[in-house]
Order: sequence, then structure tokens, then C-alpha cells
Amino acid sequence: MLASNSRFNFYEVLELNTNSAQHEITTAYERARATYSGENPAIYTIFSEQEARELLTLIEEAYSILGNKTLRNIYDQRLLGNNKSNPEDLTYESILSASRLIFNEAKGENKKIVYVRDEAFEKEIAEQTQWTGVFLKKVREYKKYPIERLSDVIKVNPFYIKAIELEEPTNLPAPVFVRGYVMQISKELGLDAKTVADSYMKRFNK
Amino acid sequence: MNKVGLSQGVHMELVNKTATHSHQGKAPEIWAINSGKGGVGKTFITSSLGLTLSKLNYNVLIVDLDLSGANMHTALGLKPSHLNMRHFLDEQKSLSEIVIPTPFPKLSYIQGVWDLWVPFDLSKFDEFKMSAELKKLKYDYILVDFGVGPFEKFFNMFLECDQRIVVSSPEPTSIEKTYRFIESYICQNLKSKATPEAYHKLINTLRDFRHNVLDNPFSFKSYLKENDGLTLEPFNKLNREPLKLLINGIRSQSLMDLGYSMKSVCNKYYGLNVDYIGHIEFDNSVWQSVKNMEPVLIAQPFTPVAGQFLSICKYLADSKEIQVAA
Repeated sequence: MLASNSRFNFYEVLELNTNSAQHEITTAYERARATYSGENPAIYTIFSEQEARELLTLIEEAYSILGNKTLRNIYDQRLLGNNKSNPEDLTYESILSASRLIFNEAKGENKKIVYVRDEAFEKEIAEQTQWTGVFLKKVREYKKYPIERLSDVIKVNPFYIKAIELEEPTNLPAPVFVRGYVMQISKELGLDAKTVADSYMKRFNK
Repeated sequence: MNKVGLSQGVHMELVNKTATHSHQGKAPEIWAINSGKGGVGKTFITSSLGLTLSKLNYNVLIVDLDLSGANMHTALGLKPSHLNMRHFLDEQKSLSEIVIPTPFPKLSYIQGVWDLWVPFDLSKFDEFKMSAELKKLKYDYILVDFGVGPFEKFFNMFLECDQRIVVSSPEPTSIEKTYRFIESYICQNLKSKATPEAYHKLINTLRDFRHNVLDNPFSFKSYLKENDGLTLEPFNKLNREPLKLLINGIRSQSLMDLGYSMKSVCNKYYGLNVDYIGHIEFDNSVWQSVKNMEPVLIAQPFTPVAGQFLSICKYLADSKEIQVAA
């Protein structure tokens, strides 16, 4: 299949030139996806299902970098720049984390939240077994964590966070998503995500 | 060395500009049409490409090399002629003596072996001689339909053609055979420049590759570089002068991009560059007009298929001219 050095050349993965225009990248991606997913007769007898799936993962990675102008810029600098880059600098994860650095610097919104520790309430949290929306809200307010910021960090719509705290199933998506949101909220609030989510979902599903 | 190359390039460009659609002592451009599987429409493709080029005002000769009961005449809507390829292969006549004119302007053809009741002997056949004789004929384009005969006998002739077109249909059986054809094409190319031992080893490695028992990913490029007795050049040449893939008989929207998929598979599996030149849609008027003994491009010149042939011809003719100019 692909030689190891081609593995991180996303242009080779999508069979493009490094100077391809953005729309060509999208076309190449769509063709590649159609080729290696589903039952395309073109891969029959050549690639096994497993191999096709691996190729598809590579293709998705390649497109999530090259299909995004900012990420493609970072990638191009590393791939085509004067300094020879290590293969590990060209991985999907490495490019993504580099972009996060740039993104965070630009935003400059990383002030630490300060809250006054209340031993009695900490004890109540530790002993809590019945996790309700009301109590989640209480914890969040105690830790001085505004909904908007929480929403920014965990990438969940503030409307849903409010609905979780008010326990309004009609305003929420399917339970499997709600569980994910509750996990993320409790993790961000420094709680044991699994315990909280299990307990919350038990009430929610009733 | 460089200077000579440059002035030759300029000269070729001038010839191209002045030779407006007429033959001026230039060797004909020979297109080979082949396929991995029979019945995918080689004959139809060859006759239609020929008709399209002749409509573009080029002098065209179609050569039917099918040794298994040729029927180019049917695709052209003609009655079979007594004169055919057998006269050349039996060394009774030269190629130019067996050319048959057609009712269509600027288009002639050489009929394939049609009388199969006499067994055929190819042992004395010299493909280089035939190739050389083809190049002497005074046409702008010569289209050779290779049929499903013993390909080894015609391999070198196929190699010497200016364009090598491989036709596939979207059926899985045809796609599979197209890959097998490509594999054997790569190997035959490598064989001529390899020592027998090295070639034997390569074939064994390829067999393991196919059965998924290799430890490392296989790539022709690195294998040819790392192993003694083999040269990389034949493979590089295949990439510089790629096979042209044509998909015939597309019946649904979802298969429109099949050619791109096959191109990608060749690239990812063999590291081989294949040029996808376009598809021809399935069209009921094709078999209807064959039944009426009239080529579809004549009977129904405005069928979408005619446009698809036109763009393929333009693409192939232009890509060649761009290459020469560069």
C-alpha cells in the first residue's frame, strides 16, 4: 500500500500537487472518499475492507488539514519550508495542536477563574449521590463558572447547558448526546464525570 | 545536447502549426485500443473514435487486429470484404494493399481476420515489421483495435503506439480484468530490462503482495531501486507515458466517477500513473444503430455519446501537442 514516507504527505494521499487550488482539494477528497468507502467496484480484488478503511482514515485526516486554509498553511510551511521537518511534525495531531496554540494566543482569554473555597459545600459535593440539574447549577455557580465560558470551552450550546440545569428534556437532543454534555460539564467543573452522568441520566430517562 | 533538443522542439512546434489537418510527410499518430476483457466495446470505441477524428477533418485508418472473428465492418455498417488482415499476415499483400475505403469521408479501414475456418499460424509473425509498415502509411491517425488475441504476440507493437487506450466497462468482472491487464503490462515492461533471476524474484514478491503476506508495504519504485538486476527506467517511462483509461457503458450517475477511482487505485496500489480520459454513457441508440447497419455517430450525430467521443479525441490530440510543444 502506501510507503511509510507518503503516509504524512497529505497531497500524495489525495493525489494532488502542492499548488492545487482549494476547490481541487475538495473535488479530490470527494472522489477519494467515494472510492474507498462503500462498495465501490474499483477497489474490488485490490484492497480488503480493512485496507480501504485505513485509507479512508488517512484521506479524512488529509482533507481535514488541506481542506482548512489555516491548517493547510501551517502544514505547507512544515512540508515545503527550508527546514526539513520530521515526519512527526507532519501528523494530523501535530498540525492541530500547532493551530490551537495560534488560536489561543490570538484570543488571549485564558484568565484563571478564582472562587472562594467553602469546606462545607465541598463536603456536600463529595457526598452527593443524587445529581440533579439544580445541584449541577449550584456547583457551577459556586465555582464562579459562567455558562458562556463553559459553552466556549466544551463546545456545547449554552441553550443546552441551561436546559440540562433546568432539566427540560423537550429542549434537549437525544439522551445519548445529553449524557455526553453532562460528562463534559462535570469534567470541566472538576467532578467525577461518570458518577455524575450515571446519576443524572437515571433521573433524566424516567 | 540541450541545444539540439531545444531546436528540435521549436521545429516540431512549427510543423504542428503549419500542418493544419493534412498529412505533410509526418509519421501517422498511432492509437492502440485494448482491454482486459472482451465485450466491453473495443470495436465500438475504435470505430467511433475513428469517425470522430475523420469528422474533425483528419485522414484516418482503422486497423482491426482482432484474430477471434473480427467485426469492425459491422460497427461501420459495412459488408465483410474478401480483403483482410490474413493477406498481410500470410505475407501475400502489404498493408497498404488491403486498405478498404468506407463511405465516410477521410476514413478507411483494414478488416480483421474474418474467415476463421482455416487455422491460424502466428509463429512467423513479426510485430516490429508490422509496426514499421504501419508508420509508413500516409494517414494522420491510425487506430489499432487489438482485440482479445494473444497479447504477447503484439506487445511490442502496442508499446510503440503513441497512445495506449485501455477500455473497461463498469462491471466488476471487467474492472478486475483491467487491473490484471495493467499488472501484466507493468511486468512485461520490466521483463525486457531485467535479468531472469531478478525478474523471477520480483514475480514471487508480487505474488506475496497480492496474497497480503508481505511484511512491508510494496512499492515498485523502492523495490526496483533496492534490488539488483532490475532497472527503474521502464517503470518511470510507464509513468511518463501513462496508459489511457476509458470507461464505456456508464448507466448511472453514481458510476460517472469510476474512472477516477480506478486511477486512484492504480496510484495507491501500484504507484502507477494512469490517465483517465473520460467515459462513454450507455446509449440505446448504439445497439439500435448497429442492428440497422449504420454507425451511431452517423445515424444520430447529436446523441450525447457523440459529444463524449469528441471531447476524448480533443483531449488526446491536445495532450500530445502540448507535450511536443513543451
